[in-house]
Amino acid sequence: MRNQGLIINKGYLKFVLPTYLLFLLLTIVPVFGTMGLSLFQFDIALPSDSPFVGLENYLDLLEDDEFINSVKVMCLLIFIPVLLQAVLGSALALALHEKPKGLGWVRSLFLIPAVLPPIVIGLIWKLFFIPESGGMAYFAHWLGLPAVDMFSDPIPALIMVITASVWAGIPFVTLMLLANLETLPASYYEAAAIDGAGWWQRHYHITWPLMIPIVKTVTIFRVLEALAIFPVIFILTGGGPAGATEPINFFAYRVGFDYLLLGYASAIIVVFFCILFMICLPLMLRVFADRRN
Amino acid sequence: MAITKGQGRSFSYAVILGYLVFLSLPIFWLISTSIKDPLEAFAIPPKLLVWPKLSNFLEVFANKAFMLSLLNSLLVALGTVACTMVVSVPAAYGLARLKGVFKNSVLSWLLLTRAAPGMIYVIPYFLVFGRLGLDDTRISLVIMNMIYTIPLVIWMLLTFFEEIPISVEESARVDGASNLQIMTRIAIPIVMPGLASSAILAFIFSWNEFLFALVMTKKVATTAPVSIVNFMAYEGTNWNHVAVGGILILLPVLLFSVAIRKYLIRGMAAGAVKG
Repeated sequence: MRNQGLIINKGYLKFVLPTYLLFLLLTIVPVFGTMGLSLFQFDIALPSDSPFVGLENYLDLLEDDEFINSVKVMCLLIFIPVLLQAVLGSALALALHEKPKGLGWVRSLFLIPAVLPPIVIGLIWKLFFIPESGGMAYFAHWLGLPAVDMFSDPIPALIMVITASVWAGIPFVTLMLLANLETLPASYYEAAAIDGAGWWQRHYHITWPLMIPIVKTVTIFRVLEALAIFPVIFILTGGGPAGATEPINFFAYRVGFDYLLLGYASAIIVVFFCILFMICLPLMLRVFADRRN
Repeated sequence: MAITKGQGRSFSYAVILGYLVFLSLPIFWLISTSIKDPLEAFAIPPKLLVWPKLSNFLEVFANKAFMLSLLNSLLVALGTVACTMVVSVPAAYGLARLKGVFKNSVLSWLLLTRAAPGMIYVIPYFLVFGRLGLDDTRISLVIMNMIYTIPLVIWMLLTFFEEIPISVEESARVDGASNLQIMTRIAIPIVMPGLASSAILAFIFSWNEFLFALVMTKKVATTAPVSIVNFMAYEGTNWNHVAVGGILILLPVLLFSVAIRKYLIRGMAAGAVKG
């Protein structure tokens, strides 16, 4: 019986291997390609005249102010939106978990931003923020406030991008946490209620400790996807003004496809990948450890 | 929850209503912009509610370049779905029936690619497809989209295949059916809802994809998300047309999401919303 199980098991390799090999070809080869290219001074017009420069591209990065700026912007655009998404998304999950009367339909509606094309999310917020004819101008007028041009100063531009990023990211956090909240045993809460614990106390002492692992996991996902708002930035601010909203992946795009410095752009992308990986590594290890226990 | 009273309820209403305002403000403005005429769009102070005008929609429908890009988006998405399903369904089925190191390493690798930003793939594809004469083609986008749709569909289908009780397949095996026959005649019909919803998720991913299309296409194969950027530059400050373009791009996604809302959570856990 055991033997037969093994044979059956092996028979399924045929189903997996071709797809797996195709997938490796589609992914590993270009990843190594990017790493390799980062060691060349690659000229797209003259591919044959592209000298090997070793780590020179990486050394140049250290002295490139635009690059250093893009790293700072990346940190801002990862940590602030993810923190806000985690806090607001958790609050919304708790609120929906209460099943307030008359608001059941919100449970399907709140997901809308998560499925919209990122480019449309950028467009929606652009229409909202454009000076004079935008939605914000309307509400500012309505409230008797002066209209602000959000596009010409760094801080307002960052606020716009962060707003759009939070708007796009909340549903994922809420969806994941809500699904987990539903699995918490009701008996805990009944016992706590009998002991006279109030609503806040119950959630602080029971829900929060139970939810920590899933909050960590969801946070990793959000960190990894925080910079997937590339299309949002592209249409909303174009990285401006003066690079104020230009994170590292946007900078890499500009170097690669506006200036056509593909070797240098590859080096930026490799650094970007390493930074993302390092941010996530401690969190990922902890999640794996949690799962193993 | 019967024990929830007072604090919990007011917290709940306050948070949800606050979120609804945040959620709907820009969407409402998008719709409002799409049905204004240019004069109303530039009225000072801006107007929120106007008598709906469909002229903007008719004008955008008459824009050949944009309509062509919508068609491109559709063709690329259908191509991506077809190719992805052909290679992913057997793989997902095989993985569901396998155990051990090989299975785990394949699944981990598939998951790791989620962590990789799309940017890391773009330059080599740009160079190689340029050399092969595949730049500005829909097929190049289909191939690149599969980087993300293959793991998405495999992870999603895996859970569906694993839910099939093994006894169902064992009886067919006793009757002498091969693995392939069991997959096509027994397993696949059982997971049809999962198959349909993962195909739709792959469609949505491809429809939403921006970076690959931005890099790989110039004119012929431009998809709608890239086209709307050009459209915006071309139309200058005709925000009404831009709003209509945005609505046309988001509508199919919205309809599909409603159709599969039951399975959306599995898809999102599998990385459906990678941008």
